Amino acid sequence: MDEEPERAKRWEGGYERTWEILKEDESGSLKATVEEILFQAKRKRVFESHGQVRLGMMRHLYVVIDTSRTMEDQDLKPNRLTSTLKLVEYFVEEYFDQNPISQVGIITTKNKRAEKLTDLAGNPKKHIDALKKAKDSTCGGEPSLYNSLSLAMQTLKHMPGHSSREVLIIFSSLTTCDPANIYELVKTLKALKIRVSVIGLSAEVRVCTVLTRETGGSYHVILDESHFRELLMFHVKPPPATSSSECSLIRMVFLFSLPPGFPQHTIASISDQDAKPSFSQAHLDSTSGGPGLSMGGYFCPQCQAKYTELPVECKVCGLTLVSAPHLARSFHHLFPLEAFQESPLLLHHTERFCEACQGELKDKSVFTCPSCNSVFCVECDLFIHDTLHCCPSCIHSRSAP
Amino acid sequence: MMMASEDEVSLLVIVVDVNPIWWGQQANREPQFTLSKCLDAVMVMGNSHLVMTRTNKLAIIASHCQESHFLYPCKLWKFGDGHGDENASTSGDGKYELLSVANDFIAEEIKNLMSRTEVKGNQTDTLLAGSLAKALCYIHRVAKELEAGQEMKSRILVVKAAEDCALQYMNFMNVIFAAQKQSILIDACVLDSDSGLLQQACDITGGLYLKIPQKIALAQYLLWVFLPDSDQRSQLVLPPPVHVDYRAACFCHRNLIEIGYVCSVCLSSELDFVFSLYKSCIMITFLMNKPYSLEVFCNFSPICTTCETAFKIPLPQVVKSKKKKLKPST
Repeated sequence: MDEEPERAKRWEGGYERTWEILKEDESGSLKATVEEILFQAKRKRVFESHGQVRLGMMRHLYVVIDTSRTMEDQDLKPNRLTSTLKLVEYFVEEYFDQNPISQVGIITTKNKRAEKLTDLAGNPKKHIDALKKAKDSTCGGEPSLYNSLSLAMQTLKHMPGHSSREVLIIFSSLTTCDPANIYELVKTLKALKIRVSVIGLSAEVRVCTVLTRETGGSYHVILDESHFRELLMFHVKPPPATSSSECSLIRMVFLFSLPPGFPQHTIASISDQDAKPSFSQAHLDSTSGGPGLSMGGYFCPQCQAKYTELPVECKVCGLTLVSAPHLARSFHHLFPLEAFQESPLLLHHTERFCEACQGELKDKSVFTCPSCNSVFCVECDLFIHDTLHCCPSCIHSRSAP
Repeated sequence: MMMASEDEVSLLVIVVDVNPIWWGQQANREPQFTLSKCLDAVMVMGNSHLVMTRTNKLAIIASHCQESHFLYPCKLWKFGDGHGDENASTSGDGKYELLSVANDFIAEEIKNLMSRTEVKGNQTDTLLAGSLAKALCYIHRVAKELEAGQEMKSRILVVKAAEDCALQYMNFMNVIFAAQKQSILIDACVLDSDSGLLQQACDITGGLYLKIPQKIALAQYLLWVFLPDSDQRSQLVLPPPVHVDYRAACFCHRNLIEIGYVCSVCLSSELDFVFSLYKSCIMITFLMNKPYSLEVFCNFSPICTTCETAFKIPLPQVVKSKKKKLKPST
């Protein structure tokens, strides 16, 4: 093909001569090989840090889900649509866990049209409820890349310059029905610095390749469900920020929390407003029903609008409302934990126990923290890098943070 | 109350603050409540937990200013060379063997710990974040070693004596979020001064925070408030939750502020240059004894003092005035 770099389809290479991996040991058992394969699979999951790169922390991401006829295909169980919706639910939860001050919106496309399932919002519950309801919807017609991208663009172009604007398309069909030239739209997207990535469920489609290459996103086609999950999780991490994103002071508000239902008489220091039950802004818009009145909540200091959950952007005055722990959740991206060095167990005669969990070291290799030289087992290494984000032994030395 | 089935395992990890400096001063202040009395109360709590259900598990960690040491269980027991063997059969008073062995072992370990460590000049703070991190790793390992069909619920109880160490803010927050993700409750029983970090921990993970009014009644408070697990707590009337102050302190004037400005670059900053500056910013705000503050600015300033970025100032939109058409007077 013309200007595209030559790429050989080497995914087939992984399937050549697979019998050579299996080796029997003296007694004829395959146990050692199987353990080795499991061990390698575990190691693949270790988080690899970006290194010295700026990351985009405030992200505005639209997820476009193709709900066309091809989604009824049953190659993913029970059908592509149900499987995709379940994985996107999990994605949304993980996304807000890693990026607490970011926002997500969901768009679906079918019958040559695109419509918004949920608007850009910082609260995962709304999206998860909408995704659960969407499981009953029917698939039909053809998707429209142009319409879904222009729908996403309408909102994303108004987002502030310092945040990263992204679109993630889950595309299953091999065709798209567009009302106008999509290559013009790609140019507009590039000018607006919107990064589009695609996860294909069927096969590689050239228009997606061009779209992602021009806008700086990534394009992958899934092999099976676990690969699909891996590709989705890849988008949870904050992407490297482009050098041209603007630098500005973000006005943020740090609120003290008043849990809902907090008894009145113990609030001595708070203003009178909290004493009366009031409607929350979120409830005024929602159609899910339920009592709108609640006692406790968070009040925007500028306009006194009430919200039940954080983080949220105040609808009245546009202020970003967060609480300090939300920003603290993002810290581990700024100070990523170094990967531990792997070494065989035989070299470590003196240590029999893992420093962190006090368990016996019985895997074939152990992991050493480069700063404090403590030894950890493989399970603790995974746990430390995925969830804890700090070395338990390094904390015991004086250096902060 | 439902009987707990054989398949539910409840693991309680007690982290005891054994800061030698604080306890040394305490021995002078209140001689009737010393470290050994405190550990007696903790042992009563641990024994009670083990006795509640056969499948309950226990671990006790001593949080010192140089290390965190597991007082119970002993990692050597599996190999049969633990000290427990000789003393096990000689409990004398007919106590359940597991409890007497555990108590003896804990007493032995704490004596060894306190005697072998020398406190150096500047290491006076309790390494609580480190002990909590080790507790989480231990819980993670025990969860993996369960038999098929067993479910485990775990919680951590912190008995805190000395003051907060503000330098540990970041690590503490990492630990709290990890605990929240694994659905592990963190309870806090505070002996002396209130701890903002532990208040946040209890608020975020859903645990209980209590500053006890009388230290000598520690055992009573532990059994009343902290022994029931999370399912049973809904049926009891327990001390009310505290009001946690999450406000940030402004970088320039040290006032607690509600509306502030955070540099978007620092929030997504270049690691190699800003890292050292960022750390020093946090150090400055921490020294003012506000452990949960970020560097924020209370006024709009055109340059971020931390990373020297010039900001784009949003200008008000200029509205073109319309020329009024004068009506021709007739």
